[in-house]
Amino acid sequence: MTNEPIIELHDVAVEFSGFKAVSGLNLSVAKGELRCLIGPNGAGKTTALDVICGKVRARSGQVLLKGQDITRLSEYRIARRGIGRKFQVPSIFREMTVRDNLEVGYCKHLGVFSNAIRFRRAERDGLEKLAALVGLDDVMDEPAGYLSHGQTQWLEIALLLAQNSEVILLDEPTAGMTAQETMHTAKIFNSLKGRHTIVVVEHDMAFVREISDVITVMHQGKVLAEGCAADVQNDARVREAYLGSGGIAHA
Amino acid sequence: MRGNGRIKRTLLGYIVFCIAILIVPIFISDAYLLNKFARYLVFGLLSVALSLSWGYAGILNLGQAVSFGLGSYCMAMALKLRTIPIQTGAGGLPDFMVWNNVQTLPWFWEPFHSYAFALFAGIAVPVAVAFLIGWFIFRARVSGVYVAIITLAMLVVINLLIIDQQRFTGGFNGITDLTTFELFGVQFDAYSTALYYLAAIILSLTLLLGFAFINSKTGLILQAIRDDETRVWYFGYDVANYQNFIFCVSAAVAGVAGMLYTLVMEFASPTFLAVPISLSIVIWCAVGGRASLVGAALGAIVVTGVQGSLSDTQAFLDTWMLIMGALFIVIVLFLPNGLISMLELIWRKKRPLQGSASARLVASRASRTGQATGHRAVSSR
Repeated sequence: MTNEPIIELHDVAVEFSGFKAVSGLNLSVAKGELRCLIGPNGAGKTTALDVICGKVRARSGQVLLKGQDITRLSEYRIARRGIGRKFQVPSIFREMTVRDNLEVGYCKHLGVFSNAIRFRRAERDGLEKLAALVGLDDVMDEPAGYLSHGQTQWLEIALLLAQNSEVILLDEPTAGMTAQETMHTAKIFNSLKGRHTIVVVEHDMAFVREISDVITVMHQGKVLAEGCAADVQNDARVREAYLGSGGIAHA
Repeated sequence: MRGNGRIKRTLLGYIVFCIAILIVPIFISDAYLLNKFARYLVFGLLSVALSLSWGYAGILNLGQAVSFGLGSYCMAMALKLRTIPIQTGAGGLPDFMVWNNVQTLPWFWEPFHSYAFALFAGIAVPVAVAFLIGWFIFRARVSGVYVAIITLAMLVVINLLIIDQQRFTGGFNGITDLTTFELFGVQFDAYSTALYYLAAIILSLTLLLGFAFINSKTGLILQAIRDDETRVWYFGYDVANYQNFIFCVSAAVAGVAGMLYTLVMEFASPTFLAVPISLSIVIWCAVGGRASLVGAALGAIVVTGVQGSLSDTQAFLDTWMLIMGALFIVIVLFLPNGLISMLELIWRKKRPLQGSASARLVASRASRTGQATGHRAVSSR
């Protein structure tokens, strides 16, 4: 695996009306890596993803994608450069079928006029395969609003795969999933390593251990520790940060 | 493919509707009735315009009547210039300008000597206005109820402007006493079968083109924007562009409806771009089914038709408004997706296999997750 960084955050600070969500954040993710961001509540994990994908603006500092500054770009331009994002709150298109959801996610062509004369069902095979990968192939023609919570999460993952971004940012992809579903998700993520660079915010340590190469622990808007699962868990500062929430094993 | 089956079925519905409105003149020869039906069709077209933006993209445009009115005025201006004024004779100023002491024809009236220009302007002017307003609204990422408020305000402003500029627009009276529209040697008299056919053909074409459009990828993305606007930005689509595009398409359709309306009514009036008609469009759409173009058209025809016949009947002279109100409440309560959803319900009942889709969904969900505990079933409201 190459070690050339694809995403770099340099000294990034984000403030929400005086509250410093993130300050002095430095992060570097290598191409093809699967990085997990963990940390106690309020550590700024979600904000870190938000600032990369353009949802919130950095007050200072720099976000680089393949060495290019994307700090001030609007979110759709960042998306076009190859960053996909899944939010913590499931956001799918409820009134549309699973198939239609995936077709929206398949965003090779973006123009309003060219798409007006482009009819669907051209890329059907690819999308069916994708749906099969996340186990939604037999509900392709159901409205997405009918899906269970776990299926909704998978649909979101499938949407990101349809989008096929180089970088995928995931905010708690296994929230609300059963242990079985979580393991299936881990399998999918492991199969994506190398092809996509993935940054995952997760609380489920079992899941994190299953998938991650490198774990970054955040605390109070900064990076506290970085390393493999064992290193991080034995880090004294990490243990201290997690005190009160029952230690890292239960986080 | 079940997805394809539904599209074919819907297309069949559209075609049946188009044939139905096209064969009406075979059974009705009464000129007064035909004129009335042509009027309903124009309202149907107007309703389709709102369905495109509201039903498919979630943009509740309460200023739809602006496009309608501007289209109507463009047509009226062209017809007015071809009317020979009594006071000044052929080639003279329109009568209301004479009454308002206007000396020469204003520059923006000049090009309306040409029908071709008027027909172009009847679409281009509403689109230009919509584009400008849409540009500000959608670039600023205004959405939801605020779009409704802004468009309603715009409607009131333009309405006042037209009433205020009496010298150029005829003010409160509008533009009246118009000559008969003539194209390719056909006279489109308000009470002629020709005009009815013109309205029916335009409505049919709009429905079929609209159907193709909503099944295109752009149509799909617009529906995604309706469901979750923010999410669509993160796929890299320029949502504002998409919204403004449909806003302009909707304005163009409403502009065409406005031009037809002038022909049907034989005048243009500031009441065409007033608040009551703009709100009526919303009601037509809601009653017929806003997320279906043919439903929206049907809604307009049914509502204005019932309205017309009730208010014409001696027995309901005092109570027709009450009856209409009760009807709306019943439909909104029991058929939230409009009259058109009744067809879908009937279809589901007749085809039990089709209806068991949700049962299969539950089964597959149960088999996959093992135990259902900890799962929040997401209902579709």
